[in-house]
Amino acid sequence: MTTVARRSFLQKLLFVAGVTPVGLIGCRSGRSLETVPTSLDPQSKPGALSRADIDDLVALTGVVVEGRNLGHAEGDYVIEHVEHRARQSPEYVALYRTTVETLGQLAGRRISTLEVGERLEFVRRHRLDDPRLRGDEDPGQASGAVKEVRRRAVPDLIEGYFRSPAGWAVVGYTTFPGRCGDLTRYTRPER
Amino acid sequence: METDVCIVGAGAAGGTLALELGRRGVRVVILESGPRHDFAQRREYVRRFLHRENPWRTPLPEMDRFSAGGTARHVLQRVRGIGGSTLHWEGYALRFHADDFRLQSLYGIGDDWPISYEDLESYYARAEQSLGVAGAMDDPWASPRSTPFPMPPFSFSHSDRVVSPVCRSLGIKLHCMPQARNSIAYGGRSACRACSTCFVCPTGAKASTDLTHFVDAEATGNVRVLAETTVLRLETDRSGQVGAAVYAGADRAEKRLAARVFVVAAGGVETARLLLLSTSSEFPNGLANRSGLVGRFFMSHPSLDVTGRASERLYPYRIGFSTAMSRQFAVDRPRASRGAFLLEFLNSAGPTPDQLATASGLSGEGLRKHVREEFGRRLGIRIYCEPLAQRTNGVTLNLRVRDYFGNPVPHVHYSTGRYERDALDDARAVVEKILAAVPLTDVRAGAPMFSAHQIGTHRMGSDPATSVVDAELKTHDVSNLYLVGSGCFVTASASPPTLTIVALAIRASEHIAARLRGAALPPTARTEAGRETLGSGRTATFETNSTSQLN
Repeated sequence: MTTVARRSFLQKLLFVAGVTPVGLIGCRSGRSLETVPTSLDPQSKPGALSRADIDDLVALTGVVVEGRNLGHAEGDYVIEHVEHRARQSPEYVALYRTTVETLGQLAGRRISTLEVGERLEFVRRHRLDDPRLRGDEDPGQASGAVKEVRRRAVPDLIEGYFRSPAGWAVVGYTTFPGRCGDLTRYTRPER
Repeated sequence: METDVCIVGAGAAGGTLALELGRRGVRVVILESGPRHDFAQRREYVRRFLHRENPWRTPLPEMDRFSAGGTARHVLQRVRGIGGSTLHWEGYALRFHADDFRLQSLYGIGDDWPISYEDLESYYARAEQSLGVAGAMDDPWASPRSTPFPMPPFSFSHSDRVVSPVCRSLGIKLHCMPQARNSIAYGGRSACRACSTCFVCPTGAKASTDLTHFVDAEATGNVRVLAETTVLRLETDRSGQVGAAVYAGADRAEKRLAARVFVVAAGGVETARLLLLSTSSEFPNGLANRSGLVGRFFMSHPSLDVTGRASERLYPYRIGFSTAMSRQFAVDRPRASRGAFLLEFLNSAGPTPDQLATASGLSGEGLRKHVREEFGRRLGIRIYCEPLAQRTNGVTLNLRVRDYFGNPVPHVHYSTGRYERDALDDARAVVEKILAAVPLTDVRAGAPMFSAHQIGTHRMGSDPATSVVDAELKTHDVSNLYLVGSGCFVTASASPPTLTIVALAIRASEHIAARLRGAALPPTARTEAGRETLGSGRTATFETNSTSQLN
């Protein structure tokens, strides 16, 4: 017999409501400032994501998915994804914090301050865009934090980007799930 | 609190009953465990759905707990709330075929229903009107209809047009999928705008009873809806009838609602569970369960997706539902030994851009190129298979796990056997033949799944020893208790159940209204008007209430 207990929506709401806001998020998009709560999970690190943290995540996403800086709208999609994840679970706040701290340590400065070419080289050098451990790679070489970035953070940011209108634009869609449109469009090939 | 009719559950059946009874001047109170989901919230719900969350999740903790066993472990997927599971359903609104009601007579397997397709036909027509069904008379295997569909069909999709001639060359005919979704403005709701998030319809074009029934029901002034009130048990009085529904809200304070008639319409699992929770000295094994069949004969449709890779893009994910199907294999099958099956031609098969991207392990231009080239290459066909009713499958109480109110959660035991396996094998062979002829490569079948449908747990019949409710959905054992929903189905068909649920609910509402006003019962009723025979052999008389006269 298998007992199935779904995660309580109420518990999530309590989590969101019961925390002290520390950092700011969402500044880039010009929308109302929103806080990302400190985790209640004792396993995860305290604190929240700052605007500079978010800029680092957007900068990382840009070189991983496009090989360039993201435009304003594209960056907003990444911010929306990060905001949503942060509200969804304290684990994501911890993951994103680990990511920006690790990137900062590896680069010696915030990666959003690197030029695009430097950032591309940085990602390549540390194989941040490759979730797999390659045959020629020493398993002990990459720290646990770097592995977290490669295996969890980068795929998460890629997923968020490609789930957004920017991802649908890659396949040529201007309307897609969640953006309503012309009811006859589905009956014919795209132009 | 007191009323004429207390309905437990505000889904497809509960909404239909509320509207039909309210229009006839019957006072109705509906007790619904879930919340009233504000339509204005649907945009936000879409956003959450796109982030792969379930916005319809029950707010109270522990209320969605259940356990499952058997070889085909069922996963409860239903919505508590005003509108019930019509809030998230796919909207496919097929009538059952006439043969589905006569499995024993025609094939010597299963049981016959106590009513026929002909008995239900006019109610199907009314169900289609009330939900708003778009369809075409192009299904050669459909049973006769007295009325056209209320709305024109949705056209075939681009991928349907690719596969349709191939099917024709193989002697397989595609036809339009009938659906409770507006192809044109209908019932005060807009036409579908192809938002592709039908799990949460942001426009209201997909029928859900919060929009199609409850607004009008409450406007009659006779229907009161109490959301976020969970019925904990039904209590019987000295006469053996149900006297009160005991319910509670989030504060767990128990309250009672007295009524002359009680209708449980909480879905096949929760309806059975409530009866099993409602024990008394007269019903030690659960209310209306002298037959021992409450909870038994559970069924859900086995399902399988088969996909293949096309040489060109098929443009999926531009609409959230399927537009073509074939009922060819649901009729004229050797159903004595294997189930019927339907084919649904998917408009959205294969991975989305984000799924392609994360699975690729690529980055930069290589990633973009991969997503661009691979997106939209898969064509899929979904198989829906008819399950066979088995006494050993069913819903019981799990005494070790409790819900928010301390009640045992449901345990669903479901195993399928050769009847379903052979049907799936036959269907898979047909589908693989179609996909090979397109032609597609890399043809793959997914793992068998089971639909969210909950069928058969309080089956209908004429004999109190072998069924729980009669043809009017009144329990054999308790004269003022009705059970309405797919739990009363004797067979499951291969078709989705919702339209049949609504048709049966309209029919039951006529019977209940007639009883309450002491009028002659509809022709198929098997009881004497105004006097009901109790299961114990005693009789009880329904009194006519002046407030319940027809308007």
